[in-house]
Amino acid sequence: MTSDLSVEVGGLELRGPVLAASGTFGYGTEVPLLERRALGAMVSKGIFLKPRAGTAPPRIAETPSGMLNAIGLQGPGVDGLIRDYAPKWAAWDFPVLVNINGESAAEYGELSARLDGVPGVAGFEINISCPNVEQGGMYFGNDPRAAASVTEAVRRRTKLPVWVKLTPMVSDIGIIARAVEAAGADALSAVNTFVGMSMDLNAYQPRLSFRTGGLSGPAIRPLAVHLAHQAARAVDIPVIGVGGIMRAEDALEFLVAGCRAVQVGTATFVNPNAIAEVHDGIAAFMAAKGFASLSELPRYLPRD
Amino acid sequence: MWRLFLTDAPLVERRGVARDMWVLGFAAPEIAASVKAGQFVNIGLRLGSLLRRPFSVYRAEGDRIEVVLKAVGVGTAQMLAMREGDVASCLGPLGCGFDLSRPAKSVTLVSGGLGVAPMPLAVRDARAAGLHVTWVHGARTADELCSETDGDDVILATDDGSAGFAGTVVAAAPDADLVLACGPNRMLAAVSQRWPQAQVAVETYMGCGTGVCLGCAVPLTGGGYDRACTEGPVYLAADVDWQALPSHLSYAVSA
Repeated sequence: MTSDLSVEVGGLELRGPVLAASGTFGYGTEVPLLERRALGAMVSKGIFLKPRAGTAPPRIAETPSGMLNAIGLQGPGVDGLIRDYAPKWAAWDFPVLVNINGESAAEYGELSARLDGVPGVAGFEINISCPNVEQGGMYFGNDPRAAASVTEAVRRRTKLPVWVKLTPMVSDIGIIARAVEAAGADALSAVNTFVGMSMDLNAYQPRLSFRTGGLSGPAIRPLAVHLAHQAARAVDIPVIGVGGIMRAEDALEFLVAGCRAVQVGTATFVNPNAIAEVHDGIAAFMAAKGFASLSELPRYLPRD
Repeated sequence: MWRLFLTDAPLVERRGVARDMWVLGFAAPEIAASVKAGQFVNIGLRLGSLLRRPFSVYRAEGDRIEVVLKAVGVGTAQMLAMREGDVASCLGPLGCGFDLSRPAKSVTLVSGGLGVAPMPLAVRDARAAGLHVTWVHGARTADELCSETDGDDVILATDDGSAGFAGTVVAAAPDADLVLACGPNRMLAAVSQRWPQAQVAVETYMGCGTGVCLGCAVPLTGGGYDRACTEGPVYLAADVDWQALPSHLSYAVSA
């Protein structure tokens, strides 16, 4: 049998539950992609209003079963995005959400207003969780009032779907999740990278020039499954699980933990076909278990 | 647009070319048929490190590509422990290689230590372009010199004077219409002082190799960064801000 893998997530009908995570797929135009048939949606590299050079190298360091990155949201700014990328997205057969960033709630609002109505832009993922910028980023994401004010600022300026990407660097992710839900978010992405550090034993200083970086990869997966589950228990809007998914079984863990969909990130660095392989593995699991659609997959989501 | 191949490539050969320096040959026909000098492959092992590791393609003949490496970390040690028939995942060819299409009659290849990596293909492509090839190769000491240098003229140099010219490759190299260089970034900075128009293949940390992670940032003299994996790894020497490019990786690389 063939199972139906389509899902509705925060205002978008997706052909599959496996999405490309922000910052791991560029703007979707970088490489001759091997396979994109299975891509449910793409979340673009994070963008600010203005172009940003990014941080000095070294920007990445491999760690056990993971990697630290401090790219610093290098990017062309909203004008470059509208000029160079959105027109291409408009022709694609999967939706593209723009990961938006700002140093103030007003900047997030301004950015969403600039992009609202641009052909090719299907929605927004508010990034209140980037650990690699000096201003804004994660600092909005660990204060429920700041998180809500950013979400409201975007919600007021657009009718497109608004997702919010949460940081794991909080003591209770449920508080943040409820705050942004109340502020009008359509879905949550849980979670962004964890803040980490690694030392260079020749130079006696951090391996990254930014000193700290965001930890991703399989090293964080059980942490991310737990946080996504906690977020899913706290809200009624869909949660998209993110964190260390390498294979279909990893994605299925997030789905069973209460997520509606998943994002694959670091795995794409290792294997450009990772998204297609995760998608196909989920399909094989569903067929083997006899589930006709993703809504039949049992979720472990006890209510408090 | 160029084609990118992802292939499980069996190891077909291993040979030593200097003390602790090895050439590994993999059967990867599509990559072998299309790779240009200065391009690289990103290699991963099933039970190895999470991220792939970039290697300049050393030679490409028939259905085989070769890479050159030293055991500098866990990943390279794992690769050197491979047996014939063991499979590595190869993604490539990646990056922009050397540009040999400019009008020229002669080329000097300058390599330090593992910087030999792109040079055999550069010799191949330079000969095909009808150039007179001088290859200047250096290392710290005689037994670290790669034994497979080639060209119309070959000049060797060692830091300790145990073979060839006593001193740096940059001091030993003759001028030519084109200069191509690869080696530790501090050597390339010296190349840039003497030949701002040289084409240099830089070494950086690298994540994906395909242009999406932005981890392999190369600081440019004109400001900003671009990607060693995509716009590079070959740059015009004068375009790189050598002060801002990390001068060495966390492991020792012979100059």
